[in-house]
Amino acid sequence: MRLYIHHKTHYRYPSPVKDSFNELRLHPLSNQWQKCESCFVNVFPTSRLHKYLDLNGNLVHHFEIPQDHSKLIVESRSTISTHKRVDFESFPYGVSMKSLREMEGKADCRPYLQSSSYVEINPEAWRMAVDVQGESKDVFQTAYLIMEFIYERFEYSKATTSVHSHANEILSTRKGVCQDFAHAALALCRCLGIPARYVSGYFYDHTRNQSMRGSEASHAWIEVLVNGHGWFGLDPTNNRVVDETYVILGTGRDYKDVAPITGTYYGRLPESMEITVTVKPLQ
Amino acid sequence: MRPFPFENYLTEGFFDEMFGKGHPHKPLKHYQEVYNRLGRLESGEILEKRSQADSSFLEHGVTFTVYGDEEGTEKIFPFDLIPRIIPHSEWTVIDQGLRQRMLALNLFLHDIYQDAKILSDGIIPTEVIQSSSNFRKEMVGFDIPKDIFIQVCGSDLIRDDSGTYFVLEDNARCPSGASYLLENREIMKKTFPQTFQGMSVRSVEEYPELLLKTLENLSPRQSQKPVCVVLTPGVYNSAYFEHTFLARQMGIEIVEGRDLIAIDEFVYMRTTHGLVQVDVIYRRVDDDFLDPLFFNKDSMLGVPGLMNAYLRGNVALANGIGTGVADDKVTYAYVPEMIKYYLDQEPILSNVPTFLCWREKDRKYVLENLKSLVIKPANESGGYGMMVGSSSSEKERQEFKDRISSNPRDYIAQPIISLSRHPTFCEDGIEGRHVDLRPFILYGKDIEIVPGGLTRVALKKNSLIVNSSQGGGSKDTWVLKN
Repeated sequence: MRLYIHHKTHYRYPSPVKDSFNELRLHPLSNQWQKCESCFVNVFPTSRLHKYLDLNGNLVHHFEIPQDHSKLIVESRSTISTHKRVDFESFPYGVSMKSLREMEGKADCRPYLQSSSYVEINPEAWRMAVDVQGESKDVFQTAYLIMEFIYERFEYSKATTSVHSHANEILSTRKGVCQDFAHAALALCRCLGIPARYVSGYFYDHTRNQSMRGSEASHAWIEVLVNGHGWFGLDPTNNRVVDETYVILGTGRDYKDVAPITGTYYGRLPESMEITVTVKPLQ
Repeated sequence: MRPFPFENYLTEGFFDEMFGKGHPHKPLKHYQEVYNRLGRLESGEILEKRSQADSSFLEHGVTFTVYGDEEGTEKIFPFDLIPRIIPHSEWTVIDQGLRQRMLALNLFLHDIYQDAKILSDGIIPTEVIQSSSNFRKEMVGFDIPKDIFIQVCGSDLIRDDSGTYFVLEDNARCPSGASYLLENREIMKKTFPQTFQGMSVRSVEEYPELLLKTLENLSPRQSQKPVCVVLTPGVYNSAYFEHTFLARQMGIEIVEGRDLIAIDEFVYMRTTHGLVQVDVIYRRVDDDFLDPLFFNKDSMLGVPGLMNAYLRGNVALANGIGTGVADDKVTYAYVPEMIKYYLDQEPILSNVPTFLCWREKDRKYVLENLKSLVIKPANESGGYGMMVGSSSSEKERQEFKDRISSNPRDYIAQPIISLSRHPTFCEDGIEGRHVDLRPFILYGKDIEIVPGGLTRVALKKNSLIVNSSQGGGSKDTWVLKN
């Protein structure tokens, strides 16, 4: 399907700030599941924009605003065509948990099996993961159980966590938003040796009553590597296997690698930050 | 037997919208159905359809005004019944290219009226902006509503002899033509109902609604239903029909300057029920005439005090003040640099190569090659005051030479592009005529473009000038769904 996404973030500062340096990861990837037909990124106050590819293969725009300013607006407009990603009739079952041993040493798996800034492999998380795994000996089934567990046992709550909440905190409070659910799922997967990475992006809520969670801002989910079948997306916030209604902005070890907007400036904290995300299907 | 309508059709080496570079009996795939339909026309049917269309235009009062014409000024806008068709894949590229351009132009205006970084970084020479007669110093530092300067842009696209699209110019002040785009569609649907239905053409009818939303987005009073009006210079303006048409379609009032009054930095409309505060003015009056206290002192069209209300943020204008510096034809030459600077991208749609007469090197070339160039004034629109070198007289060329030498900033030159042609009903049957395309780009909460635009056609044989004020007509433009 073809999707158009308009993503706007508006910061207002109580008094003028200056010397602002920022990086944006707002340009969707092109890969085997999606093609980015066009993407326009712009900022106010107007600035010269530069771009580069980071180590995770994500396109990064960066800019600086040396002069005084009391607001910052960052916008991106993307047109993406997505392809069918999964066959809901035949998920990649049949890869045993034992086979995960083979992947441990591989360079392209290693970053997704270890602790990272927001995800820690520790005995506490491991115990929870083993409980969730239960009798399962299958990689995809186990990852699916983890997604289901988080969706069913964790409370979706916007007020309880911050953008910097760690997976450990989420696993103990069992509350959070999509970013937190993804971090929790990463921790559980990695404890069991399933390579798992963080994905930031968007989805088109095609349900009749718009019942999916997390469509008001950019979304986050995880991808797990199933040996011989490639990466599969799982969305613990909505208990869904990722299909062509999802658009990937970028992937990394956790939020820190793909944060849509990061930066520093000299001045007071914003008094407000307003995010609007519109996703609409195109002809 | 009746002759086949394309029997004697010649493409004469031009890129033809219907036949491409190919044989005039083999239409491009997306034209096949229309081609077949034209072939099936009964004798006399075409005349009947034409008179049917003409009377519809007259009934609807679709007219425009030509300045400096002795015989009556109001005319029917000539309409040609053969639609211009754009396939889905082609439109996708145009659509993306226009969005990119609209963004860049707007970022540029925002920049030059705030920090002017693009000038201090040396990307665009400062003198280009300072010497533009449309740069409004009053706007420097002004916090423009919603950060948008251009709400409605009409960019003119042409195709060369290989079929490549180019942007010929951007109209960022008060572009006209949207009403014809809507009327043409209305009439085509009536005249060829079956062909239209059979081809899954994307609709354009939502334009007035999108325009109204674009205007409402600017309202300083978001808590209540915004009061928007169309401000027209009056019945003698060439686009007066369009002003009334759009106001009616949007369901808002059309006013002249004397219907508005500014009191204590607010703008009110005089109505039979007393004064009503106005939030957004879709002004079809140039900057110069908007407010006699700020701009042209002799203007009878404007509203004294309007600018103060605007600069206070108590009323919004669409388009904003000072957008003319973006559609200045010298600035035009720098649009690719703007796209690179603000978006770090390559332009999706190319510019026509442009010589700037104020650059000494360019000027020398232009003066030596007048015959093979089109000379245009930098700040005019509507096709006034230009010269096509190949069809000019020695006297005209000398005149332009003098003008360019004494006023180089005011002139640009471009190579003569052999515009694509489109089969068109003419006196001796169907013949190829040059066309361009003016899509309308709206910038409200987001950028919106109704698929297609106004296809203008130069009805005079061999003429390259499609402007309605210069004897051009128009066609309906069909963008296909897939």
